[in-house]
Amino acid sequence: MIILDIKNLTLEIESNGVLVKALDKVSLTIQENEIRALVGESGSGKSLIVRAISGALPPQWIVTADRLTWRGQNLLSMTRAQRQAIMRRDIAVIFQDPLASLDPSATLKDQLVESIPQEFIPKGWPWQRRKARLRIAQQIMRKVGIKDVHAAINKYPHELSLDICQKFMIAMALVSQPTLLIADDPTRGMETNTKQQILTLLAQLNKTRNLSILFVSHDLIAISAMAHSMTVLYCGQSVESGKMKAMRRRPLHPYTKALMDSAPSFSPDLIPKSPLVAMDGTIPTLQHLPIGCRLGPRCPRAAKECVQVPEERSINEHKYRCHYPMHVESV
Amino acid sequence: MITTLIRYFNLICLTLLVLVLLSFSLAFFFPGDSAVNLLGAAQIADQPLLSQAVNQSNVLVQFWYYVQALFNGQWGVSFATGKPLYEDIMQLFPATLELSLYAVTLALVFGIPLGFVSGLQYRKKIDHAFMSSSMVMYSFPVFWLALILILLVSLQAQWLPMSGRLSLLYDIPHATGFILVDIALSDIANKQYAFHDAISHLILPTLSVSFIAFAVFLRSTRRSVVDVVSTEYIKSAQTRGLTASNIFFKHILRNALLPVLPLLAVQISTLVTNVMIVETIFSWPGIGDWLIQAIYERDYPAIRTGIMLVAMIVVVFTLSLECLSQLIDPTRDRFAYARR
Ligand SMILES: Nc1ncnc2c1ncn2[C@@H]1O[C@H](COP(=O)(O)OP(=O)(O)OP(=O)(O)O)[C@@H](O)[C@H]1O
Ligand code: SF4
Ligand SMILES: [Mg+2]
Repeated sequence: MIILDIKNLTLEIESNGVLVKALDKVSLTIQENEIRALVGESGSGKSLIVRAISGALPPQWIVTADRLTWRGQNLLSMTRAQRQAIMRRDIAVIFQDPLASLDPSATLKDQLVESIPQEFIPKGWPWQRRKARLRIAQQIMRKVGIKDVHAAINKYPHELSLDICQKFMIAMALVSQPTLLIADDPTRGMETNTKQQILTLLAQLNKTRNLSILFVSHDLIAISAMAHSMTVLYCGQSVESGKMKAMRRRPLHPYTKALMDSAPSFSPDLIPKSPLVAMDGTIPTLQHLPIGCRLGPRCPRAAKECVQVPEERSINEHKYRCHYPMHVESV
Repeated sequence: MITTLIRYFNLICLTLLVLVLLSFSLAFFFPGDSAVNLLGAAQIADQPLLSQAVNQSNVLVQFWYYVQALFNGQWGVSFATGKPLYEDIMQLFPATLELSLYAVTLALVFGIPLGFVSGLQYRKKIDHAFMSSSMVMYSFPVFWLALILILLVSLQAQWLPMSGRLSLLYDIPHATGFILVDIALSDIANKQYAFHDAISHLILPTLSVSFIAFAVFLRSTRRSVVDVVSTEYIKSAQTRGLTASNIFFKHILRNALLPVLPLLAVQISTLVTNVMIVETIFSWPGIGDWLIQAIYERDYPAIRTGIMLVAMIVVVFTLSLECLSQLIDPTRDRFAYARR
């Protein structure tokens, strides 16, 4: 069953007095119990999608969508209270920058405790409830791999290292036991061991608790081992999405192909740790968007027809937007 | 914590020392005999330390005695009245303090909550209304505002008295110097009339001073609230589904107030200036009115002591507030490495 369904999500930002489409007809679905990867170069609009889903956008930005639904309920047209209820229990979000997302003047304990839903606390006297809350908080912090919980819990965010803050953000998201976790690059900059720990934890929660995850990442290798399906984003357009396996074996879109080739484990002759550069050239800025297919200027297969925006087509649930896809014959 | 306290203590002591030095040197810069400028008369019987200071030949020793004399309340006498300055100032100072206190309280009590309202209603009608009216208030020169108030409320409408602190009908013994407290302590027959009279004298000067302070507090609070509301952590709190009141009381309130306190510290010198101007216009018997009279009469000892005292008060209050705001800010060492 589809829990989160996004169809033709468009986000318009005013930049120097003109409206630009920072997201252009993005489509994305998340099935129950699915881990979906969302990948793309820096600046492709991954964080903007996360913000649009969670409603954390500046009020002057314009969001339109044919569908933006949570279990069939329209997120855009519902009341604030309804959306708040969904965000409180069903969807949890980890934003990209942990330090900016934490209140600098409140201790970790205060921030974590207030995210625990009332229903988790047994009835009792206020001090008993406070104790129960603290216990839940410490438990979840231990679970995400924060070592000295007692010391860390009474500290302010700026007193802790970045990776503890990152782990803490994960703890805060998981403490409400959500159905869907939206994680925006939660393991960025972590060392391999720690990263592996977190990924294992998330995969385990996916199996045991039926947690669905929308995982935003630059790390194609880590994500391809874990994710069931993938959506590739380029410059605010979703260019291809489908099952992980199918996309690895036979990418239909030239951009996906380039992205796959750039990941070291997929092409052995690449220098390790080189940045994710899929193709020659750079991603265009919002002020200089090409018309038609936004990949046009960088695409080796581009032709005359590409000045028209390609419609979304699909072969067996494998969706793509390209006039001249690859491997189509063999599918 | 301790280091912050020590740092500010040092800063206050050093600044005060410099102020004392400046006031001491004023006696030499003023025209006339420096000894007379320091004492206020050719000889004073009951201020031995200050008299001794004058008699020394070495300037450093003179200064040393001068500092001791200051601590002992031997501040010289006034040219104009011949009375000891210490007693004069101690009489007048509470009146100034009272006026400033009420004005600041009024400005805080209205300015900060309305700043919150304005900030939370950012770019809505209420916000625009508050912003434009506070801009108008902010740009009033204080003396002009005071004169307009006198013209309209005292002269035209005759609602409130235009000068002084209390009508001559009442004779309140000087106890604390705070007129409302003194009335409460005294045992005169019809207290509530005296209260009424004192308050009606207070209204116009207090309003004149608090008008501008109110506008400043409102604007800084609003700015701070707007900044906090647009931060990532408030957005993040919203996406966690916290209620609006929870977000306001647990996250917005504290973070918005923290940067306001240092701004208040900066406002103190403006406030003192405004109080002095208002005192002169309303003939409020405070230190400002007295000091300006002293300047008119070239009462050098009074000018020297008065200026030193006012400067000291500004320094002590400003630095203490800054120190306090550092102490209560849990994010204070957030940029510690950058600062070092
Ligand atoms: N507040 C903003 N105002 C204007 N433009 C913005 C804003 N935030 C993001 N953008 C623009 O939107 C585009 C997408 O940004 P986004 O942060 O979603 O990229 P991203 O895919 O998350 O990149 P990264 O992998 O580096 O996190 C970028 O071109 C960026 O310049
Ligand atoms: S539509 Fe054209 S430019 Fe775009 S990816 Fe396909 S071939 Fe390349
Ligand atoms: Mg991002």
